[in-house]
Amino acid sequence: MNPRHTAKPQNDPTLSEEGLIAGWLGRLGRAVLVGSRHIGRAGILAAATFVSVLKPAEYRREAFVQAKKIGIDSLPLVLLVAALSGSILAQQSGYQFTEIPLWVVGNTVAAGMLTELAPLLSAIIMAGRVGSGIGAELGTMKVTNQIDALRTLGRDPVTELVAPRVVAGAIMMLPIVIFANIVGIWSGWLSAIALLPMTTHEYVYGVQNYYHAASLIFSLVKGFFFGITITFTACYVGLQAEGGAAGVGRTATNAVVSIIVLIMMLDVFLAPLYKAFQ
Amino acid sequence: MIQIQGLRKVLNGKAVLDGVDLDIHEGMSLVIMGPSGTGKSVLLKHIVGLFDPDEGEILVEGMSVPNAGGKQIKEIRSRISYVFQNAALFDSLTAGQNIQLGLSEEHCRRVPAHSDPLVEEAISHVNLGPEVLRLLPAELSGGMQKRVAIARAIVGRQKYILYDEPTTGLDPVNANVINRLIARLQGEIGATSVIVTHDVESAFYLGDRIVLLANGRVQASGTPDELRGSRDPIVQDFLHPKLDTEEFNG
Repeated sequence: MNPRHTAKPQNDPTLSEEGLIAGWLGRLGRAVLVGSRHIGRAGILAAATFVSVLKPAEYRREAFVQAKKIGIDSLPLVLLVAALSGSILAQQSGYQFTEIPLWVVGNTVAAGMLTELAPLLSAIIMAGRVGSGIGAELGTMKVTNQIDALRTLGRDPVTELVAPRVVAGAIMMLPIVIFANIVGIWSGWLSAIALLPMTTHEYVYGVQNYYHAASLIFSLVKGFFFGITITFTACYVGLQAEGGAAGVGRTATNAVVSIIVLIMMLDVFLAPLYKAFQ
Repeated sequence: MIQIQGLRKVLNGKAVLDGVDLDIHEGMSLVIMGPSGTGKSVLLKHIVGLFDPDEGEILVEGMSVPNAGGKQIKEIRSRISYVFQNAALFDSLTAGQNIQLGLSEEHCRRVPAHSDPLVEEAISHVNLGPEVLRLLPAELSGGMQKRVAIARAIVGRQKYILYDEPTTGLDPVNANVINRLIARLQGEIGATSVIVTHDVESAFYLGDRIVLLANGRVQASGTPDELRGSRDPIVQDFLHPKLDTEEFNG
């Protein structure tokens, strides 16, 4: 008989209290090590990307290609989601505000779209569409030696692959957020006059009552940083890929999850900043 | 000349290379062979600086690869071209654009890939027609992809060409085509070739000199005739593998 099967469970060191604590500490230590390694590698890539971004002549052509992929090709989906969220916001606020004047609906839609929904929902759509795409593309390039091939051909993968995507992402998020704001507020108006007992004048009054330049600037600043976060994180995760087709699949998933978590964290930190500059 | 001195590399806790010494002289066709997992490709990647050694030195024309900075590694890589095992063509670029990557960035910006005379010359060297230049890698067969990868390696007329398992994954007919192509290019271009393979037939066909790697070290080295005459049991086992049928028959 296998001696392992005859051993008494209480003799197993991993089941003792000390063993459990040691195992837990070991896992924690490993997690800290892995996290620190990722932070270090991401920092090195960020520094290299910053240096490469300063040489636009070397990646300009690729940046235009990426701008089309990231911005123009994503626009229909982003605008659809913006229209739906503007409509939902108008309806829900209209149904809740029974004791206060209905022009507040316009105010709520403008506030919701400009400060949160337009940049955040656009970023989440971009994370799913662009982030997974970049992660899978660079991941495939990594596992099929295309990144190594670039290096042996004397090209810098950061300048060729990362810089054009990050620049295109940062720039294209600006018009995306502007259009998402316009479409969201417009669909809110359409829903308000169609489904709520209010007039265009009341809705426009509510929007004007909220609107100030700082809110639009804040919306664009968020979009800019979200654009950098989406593309840079996707590139970083893609360049860490290993393990063939399964590895590329994991990379695409990791890219989307990492981007969404980072965007939400960034959003939390940006909110007080808006308050400070208001 | 490429010199490898005391090269040691540990990957996943295993010493894949454990003190490799090798001199690669100009104009020669050196074949590195050995069983799978003996570090042949790892050795090749050290030469172009894709891996940093744990110990040892690699010198390309006197320049240290492990100690090279950004500019110097670019200088070293400008003298070496590398044909990857899986061709490693860029999916989003046409065959012509892939080949043109073997030329300088400045040249690529100035001359369109599909009307570049240097690219056309390179594609004709590998026995493919100019119509291939506009095709994407996905539209090419495995053998054609390998030939485009070789065209990318020779277009810049680098002094050294490193081939990593150039016939792996090809059927015997296409493998022969690639072997003959490498041998012909060696004569026409006069570059120094380093070919990694575990295919004994290819090794003896292509090599002026053959090195057998085993257990992380150079087990044997010499001309094809010297290796054939070697009495080293590891060399003989590799050259004449015996299938133990008793093991299968129980």
